[in-house]
Formats: sequence, structure tokens, C-alpha cells
Amino acid sequence: MTTRRIIVEPRGLASLGLTLAVPAASVLLALIVGAIFLALTGNSPGEVYVKMVDTAFGSQRGLSETLISATPLILTGVAAAVAFKMLVWNIGAEGQFIMGAVFAAGVGIALGSGTPALIAIPVVILAGAVGGAFWASVSAVPKVYLGVNEIITTLMLNFIALNFMYYLIFGSSSPWRDPEVSQFPSGRPIPDSGRIPEILDSQRLDYGFFIAVAFAILAWFLISKTKWGFEVRVVGDSSDTARYAGIAVPRKFLGVFLMSGAFAGLAGSLYVAGPVGALDPRSLDLGLGFTGIIVAALARLNPVAVVPVGILMGALNNAGPSLQSIRVPAATVEMLQGAILIFAVAGEFFIANRLRRPEKKPQPVAAAEGGEA
Amino acid sequence: MADSTLAVEFRNIDKAFYGVKANDNVNFQLRKGEVHALLGENGAGKSTLCSILAGLYRPDAGEFLFEGTPTVFKTPKDALAAGVGMVYQHFRLVSNLTVAENLALGHPKLGMSISQAELEDDARQLGEEYGLPVDPAARIWQLSVGEQQRVEILKLLYRQAKILILDEPTAVLTPQEAQQLFKTMRQLASEGRSVIFVSHKLHEVKQVSDRVTVLRDGTTVGGADTADAEPRDLARMMVGRDLELPTRDAQHDVGDAMLIVDDVRVAGDRGLEAVRGISFEVRGGEVLGISGVSGNGQRELAYGIVGLRTPTSGTVTVDGEDVTSLSVADKIDRGVAYVPQSRLGMGLAPGLTTEDNLGLKAYRKPPYSKGLMLAASVFKERGQKWIEKYDIRGVRPGLPIRLLSGGNLQKALLAREVELNPKVLIARSPTRGLDVGATEAVRNLVLAERAKGTAVLLISEDLDELLALSDRVLVLYEGQVAGRMPAEEATPERLGLLMAGHKEEAAT
Repeated sequence: MTTRRIIVEPRGLASLGLTLAVPAASVLLALIVGAIFLALTGNSPGEVYVKMVDTAFGSQRGLSETLISATPLILTGVAAAVAFKMLVWNIGAEGQFIMGAVFAAGVGIALGSGTPALIAIPVVILAGAVGGAFWASVSAVPKVYLGVNEIITTLMLNFIALNFMYYLIFGSSSPWRDPEVSQFPSGRPIPDSGRIPEILDSQRLDYGFFIAVAFAILAWFLISKTKWGFEVRVVGDSSDTARYAGIAVPRKFLGVFLMSGAFAGLAGSLYVAGPVGALDPRSLDLGLGFTGIIVAALARLNPVAVVPVGILMGALNNAGPSLQSIRVPAATVEMLQGAILIFAVAGEFFIANRLRRPEKKPQPVAAAEGGEA
Repeated sequence: MADSTLAVEFRNIDKAFYGVKANDNVNFQLRKGEVHALLGENGAGKSTLCSILAGLYRPDAGEFLFEGTPTVFKTPKDALAAGVGMVYQHFRLVSNLTVAENLALGHPKLGMSISQAELEDDARQLGEEYGLPVDPAARIWQLSVGEQQRVEILKLLYRQAKILILDEPTAVLTPQEAQQLFKTMRQLASEGRSVIFVSHKLHEVKQVSDRVTVLRDGTTVGGADTADAEPRDLARMMVGRDLELPTRDAQHDVGDAMLIVDDVRVAGDRGLEAVRGISFEVRGGEVLGISGVSGNGQRELAYGIVGLRTPTSGTVTVDGEDVTSLSVADKIDRGVAYVPQSRLGMGLAPGLTTEDNLGLKAYRKPPYSKGLMLAASVFKERGQKWIEKYDIRGVRPGLPIRLLSGGNLQKALLAREVELNPKVLIARSPTRGLDVGATEAVRNLVLAERAKGTAVLLISEDLDELLALSDRVLVLYEGQVAGRMPAEEATPERLGLLMAGHKEEAAT
């Protein structure tokens, strides 16, 4: 008598191949589901997907725009990945991104056009990191010293940061606002000396993309190769064990939280000092911090894997608007992103567990107690 | 061919986890009205077998007959409805509710409105009838471990369970409390109920059970009427070989006082004082055993010494230096090693590799780290050396340590602590839950430290182990020293009385 047809059991150690195959399969399944949806609504899935790939990767310009979209997603993804891995539930990358942008634009404007680019650019970029870390500290300090739930505070602070940015541009005549444009308020441009230069004359893509990749690698390096990273890994695994090993747990927690905020802030500074060029709410209020959480989840919280996943998400974001030219709503892309996330989360089950059929064996009638061993 | 005297029958039951067979072709018969002992080492499959019976797991293959009918319990609720209940080693009680409320919780026959007074009356009556006295209005957290166990048993009786499974119930009891439990078990059997008594203590099995089934490596290796079974034969069946666990040699030189604890007080979790003025010293090369029923200040005493909780008053001296208020890291530097009770909860980082865990205490200094950088190669080299030296099995590259067996976890933990070359080693229940082979290895490691001149503080509820390893024994009761004596003068009975709070005239 078999009681079940399939047995689910935890898998000890998933192979590298499997951990790569599962996210790939998740993306594929999401595309299939998307295709069904597109077909049902009277579109040709093939045409839509070809159009998307063509827009995202088919031309120099497409590739440039894809990497521009990917740059902030890589960094907000790293921000979420390092935090979640250490069980710091910072879902405030959105707000930290905005504050990074506010700080970077503010410093860039304050430095003016007189500062040499070699000094101005690093200072502007770092100002973003400081802004993000500062905004994270507003949640991190109460969390570490008073036990205030960081999920709630980081989430709420997102909205405060967003509205603060709108106030700076729409609600006041702050230094961030461009005084020369009167019809529709917009951000004051950062002088060229504080802007990250473009790689090619013909395309908008700037070196910010490479800076983002470098920071993703740095995050991986800090966590896996340094003493600090070892302590952080122990804390993330078991805070009781960390305390037992003599690790100052609150300090590590604070450090990871601020680092996460700094990465999100960097995303903000690279974006305003790169393609956007000013504190422009319409270009910044895109939910890039929230998308970073999806990126981190898909990358299984690995800061290096965040890079390709960020590029994929950037490609989707970039391709979205082009679909309107073939009369498909741009929101299709958001649906696809959502579907990818759902499949990726479901895929975790197959990384953690294995399915197998029970072995068949003959069933002798043995009533003797003890058995023959 | 149903046999009406059988309550339960297992035929050729298989159950695997992680691809490892926890039960492999298990055959087992439980009669009505008997106390049936399940004897076996940890990992022999006793708990799996019981959990299948209690509806927690379903067998992969094999036949399970309940009162002669093939049955599958899909959930513990099914099992309970059929009259099968289990008292787990870790109690399943709601600590903020009263005893009576815990009995009522989830009871199928109770309606929307419940009379608290009636409930409490029922609970009291049931307790008196079966020799399980407990205040029905008390909240669970106010009760001792032994009382909580009584509540668990009452819970099953309140639901009219016909089959009671007690998973190592005596592990948390004093010898006297255990005797009382045995009386209750006999009473239940005389009423026609069946009791499964899981244990690895032969003398208890011999005393209380009617029949015994022995498991080894997941399979049933034998069974007998207890009256006909020689303890030595049972032991051989259980272990698979003749066995002599290591004990300390009596003749032994001791050094100076290495650890001095003077009038130390440490707060408990609820703010109440858990350690209330304890003093003792341990010399180099000496094992001081600390006994006591769990929850009498053992944990807080250990925390106070290793720095996880700073004592509120008193002093802790290690090798002549006052270390009372130093941090954990500073104490590690000064040679204080600690083997906590919870291996995966505190002693090891469960998700990290074995190599990482072996470096968990030494990583701050060269050669494990240079400046800010970690030396991965040293982790690997030392790790592999120790894995071989201490015979830690099952390690694979990248494998989280939590997937090793209990014995290998403990060997890894002890290897790391011993390799610190400590002056003081504090070990809490180091062999708890280990099989005999691993117990042997761990005992040998502790004795090797003693021979090296380390001051060893052995905190354990296992009296056999304490008496085998300790030079002197000290009994804790409610955060104070209830008695102390050389190991030669200690007997389980004498310690048991002290553990239960009985005072002795003229303690040494």
C-alpha cells in the first residue's frame, strides 16, 4: 500500500546548475503566461516579443537606453539584497533613492560650474550615498536601539521622501528648482562639471552603468571577503550565535542598514548626475526602489547576480513604451515583471525541495514482532 | 488475522528524510493495556516511529493497522480523534494560558461557551485520579518543567486518549519525579490503555515496561517481554556491540584555581534573579559537575561566566584576573570556551559551512584574518585538518553545517572550542541527544581537556554523565547551591533529593 504518489522532501544542497536553471525557467514561464494573455487579448505574442527584444537590444540606441534603465535597478537591487540577506527588512530603497538624488543634486548645484569635474563628480556621487544612508538611519537607529519595526518605518519614509522632493520642486522656490522655467516647475540642472560623462557622443549612456556594476562587485567583496562581512554573515544567519561568538550584533545591524541605504542613495546620485541631470520628479518617481526588491529576489539576494537581473528588468522597462506603437498597452511589461516575480518565488520551492516517487517494494505479510532485520 | 488484543500494528514501515531512511522496515506491535518501551539510540528511529503513530508524518511504505484496520492518520488531529496522543520532548502548551485553558484548547466536544470553574474542576479531578497534581488555574509559564509535562499528559487524558506516547519523558525529571510518573503509567495500563515509553535508559525500561522493542539504525532489531530481558542483552542490541563509555580516572593532579565564581548574581529573562549568590571554584585539571533540574539557573550561570549576561553582583575570576564585566569577545581572548546547550541555536551558525563555523571564534586574529581581510585559505586548511582530526563526518564543500548529524555538530563545536586552548571550558549537556559513538567521542574530548589542565565546568541534567566525568558535584536549586560533594559521595538518589529542593543536614 503506497500512501502517496509523490514525495516532497527538503534538498540538502542545491547544485549551481539548478540555482541558475530555476530563475531562467521562471522567466520563460512568465513569458509563456504573458503570451497566453496577449493571444487572448487579440495580439500576436510573437510580434510583441520580437518588438520588445528589438527595442531593448536591437540597436545601439536601444542597448544604451536599456543600460540606462538598468543602472538604478542594479543599485537598488544591491541595496535590497545586502539588507535582506542579513534579515534587515529595509523596504525603503525608494525613499533612500530619492534622498540620494536630492543630496546629489543639491551638492552638484552648490558646487557650481567652477569646480573641476575630477573633484565635482566623485563628490556628487558620494553625496547620494550619504543621503541614502542618512535616510536609512532615520529607520535604522530606532530599530537598533529601541526595537522599532523597520518594515513600517522604511515604508512610511518612502512617502515622506517623495513628497519632500515634490515640495522642493513644486511647493517652494528652493535652490533645487530651476528659476528660469516658469510655466512648469522643474529641477535646476546640475552644472556639466558635476555630471557623469557619456561614453559615446551619439548615445545617452554614461559611465554610471559601470560605476553601478563596480559597486555591486564591491558589495559582494565586502560580504564574502572581509572580516566585517564574515561577522555580518554570522549575524544574518543567527544573531544568538553571533552574540555567542562575541560579535557586536547591534553595530553590525546598523552597518548593514546604512550600507543598504547608501547603495540606494548611490542609485539616486548616478541617476541625477547621469541621464536626468536635475532633481526632476517626473524622471525619479518611477518606483525604481520598489523594482529593486524584485531584482534582489530574482537574483536570490546575490549582489553579483543582481547585475544581469537588473539589465533584464531595465530591458523590460525600456521596451514597455515602444509597445504602444503596435497598440499594446505599455503596462503589459509590468504584468510580465509581476509574473516573473511570482514564478521566481514559486521556483524557490524547487530549489529548496526535491520531488521523487516512493520506491516500490514488495509487501510481505510479516506479523512477527521485531522482524528479521 | 486481526488480533483483538493489539491496539496498533506496524508492518514493514519505511520513512525517509533527505533521502536518509529514518525508519526502514519497522515492525512493531502495541497491545492494549501494556507499557511498551521503545529502546534505541538517538537517530535509531524511535521519534519517527512515534510521529507516524501520532499522525505527524505519513509512512512512505508499509502497513499501519489501528485496532486491526489499515489506517492512515493524515494529521495529529486524526490521530487524536482515534485516541492516539503524544507528549513531545518539547511541550506544545500555550504559556500565557492557564492549565485548564490548555486542556480545553482545541477540544472537539466543547461548545462556544465554556465554564472556567467547571473546566478547572475537571482538571483537578483528573489530576488527582492519576497522580498528576497541578494547579488548574496556574498559567503554564509559572509551572516547573515536570508540572508542564503533567499538563501534557492531562491534556491527552482529558481527550480520552487510549494510546499515550511519551517521548523521553524522564529526561527533564528528577529521579523522584520519574518514579511518580512510572506509577501513573502503570495505572493507565491497568485501565486498558496503552503507553509507549521512549527511552534510552535501560534501568527505567526494565522497571516500568511490560514489553520492549529495540530499534537500531532505523530498523527493529528485536523485542522481548521485559521480565525476560537482560539489560546487557538489550544494550548490545541497541548499540550493536559491547560498550563501555569512558569515565574519569580517580587519580589525578589538579592545579591552581583557574575559575573562581564568587557570590555571583545574574538576572533571568523575566527580570527576576535566576542566579542568586553562587560561589565555587574550579581548579585546572578538574571537572566540576553542576546538576539540577533544568531551569534552576544553569543557563544564566553559564551566561554570567562567558559574558552573555553581565552579573548584577559578585565576581568572576579567570586565572587570577577579574573578568566579571568583560565582553564575550574579551573573555574568548582570555581563554573562556563555551559549549552551549543549543548547538544550532547558539553554538553554530546553521547556514554557514563547517569550515566557517570552525573559525567562528578565532577569525578576529591572524592567521584567520589579516587587517580587514579574511584569509579564506586558512579557514579551509584548518577546517579540513580539524574535520579529519576530530572525525567530523558528512562535510561537503559548501554544505551548511545544519545538515550534519547531531553527533557531528557537537564534535565540530567541541573541536573549535578545544582548539582555542582554553583555560576554562564550560559545557552544557554536551552529550544530550547524541548516539553512543558520539557520546564516547565527546566524553573523551572533555576528559582530554581535564588531563591537559583545563578547568572544566560541566553543567548537565544527565546524572549518569555527571557522575562519570566529574571530580566534584554541585547541585543547583532555584538559583542557589543546594549541596556540594565529591563525586565519590554522590549517588543519583542523593542528588535527586537535592535537585528537588530537599535540604541536607551538614553539607560539605
